[in-house]
Amino acid sequence: MTLTTAVRCLLLACAIALLAGAASADDGPIGYIKTHAGAAFVVSGGKALEAVPGLALRQGDVLRTGDDGRLGLTLLDNTVMSVGPNAELVIDEYLFEPGNDKLGLGVRLLRGTMQFISGVIAKLRPDAVKVRTASGTIGVRGTRFLVTAGN
Amino acid sequence: MRFARTSRSVLFALPVLVLTACAPKSWVVLLPDEDGTTGRIIVSGAEGQAEVAEAGVAASLDRPSPETFTVTPYRIEQTFGAALKAQPAKPIVFTLYFEVGDARLTAESEALLPSVLAEAASRQGADISIVGHTDTTGDAVDNEALGMLRATFVRDSLVAAGLRLERISTESHGEGNLLVPTPDDTPEPYNRRVEVVVR
Repeated sequence: MTLTTAVRCLLLACAIALLAGAASADDGPIGYIKTHAGAAFVVSGGKALEAVPGLALRQGDVLRTGDDGRLGLTLLDNTVMSVGPNAELVIDEYLFEPGNDKLGLGVRLLRGTMQFISGVIAKLRPDAVKVRTASGTIGVRGTRFLVTAGN
Repeated sequence: MRFARTSRSVLFALPVLVLTACAPKSWVVLLPDEDGTTGRIIVSGAEGQAEVAEAGVAASLDRPSPETFTVTPYRIEQTFGAALKAQPAKPIVFTLYFEVGDARLTAESEALLPSVLAEAASRQGADISIVGHTDTTGDAVDNEALGMLRATFVRDSLVAAGLRLERISTESHGEGNLLVPTPDDTPEPYNRRVEVVVR
């Protein structure tokens, strides 16, 4: 490897690290896994992690369960969600800064079953909470409900 | 946009419709909250909306206009048993108050600290949020800072009492999340608080 190639590789590595840093900036935990059984994973930044209690969740994470899987989680605004087997749930949007008037929660159930128990975001700004499936949207007015998304 | 409210006649007619037409594969059903009350959801399809405000009433999610129907407890258990079983313990909130014009907690609030520790120890993968709040007296930006001071004080008190946990967040909601709703610039002791949430 020539010196210039080495320098180029180093620069490329730096650029990639910078980009990755930019993508994950301001990306603190939004909640944690609390329960799990069977095959249950959190896909975060392209990596699948086993959904063990205490695992941190971030905006953009995808929750996946297998045939025998289930998992439960809580978010920082006390929203509680749990999913059954063969489920895929995407946390599209999470904003919880009541002091700065920034509130939003958007999740998408691509398949499987879920329970949703609303938290503080739904209390402070009901319009900011949406649970979506492929063809329908649920607007939340402070409540507990179950969703199944069949294929 | 059509707005279908569930009425008694709809509730009687729809199970028949659902049995005869092809049943929806994607749907949502409302449950009562733990306190016995029931909330409300608004279901939107491409062409219409339906409101559900009664426990046990469902709405289709794969129709242009959502259709409502009732669901038996048996069907709920059959469909959602695993998801319900995975439900974590509900977060518990301890509300701590301060002595007036003092950075000390009231005696009652101080006495709650061991309960916070015990609750955290009893939960798998527990996390704690410590959130400082103010009343609406003064400037919103100053209150954001004041809420943070209160939260940090409570965190230090919990750590001094023996709290050992990685998952602790300390934050301020300033005057943005009032316990007692008031107009701006209103002194209210019950809004000057720190909420410790154990999840």
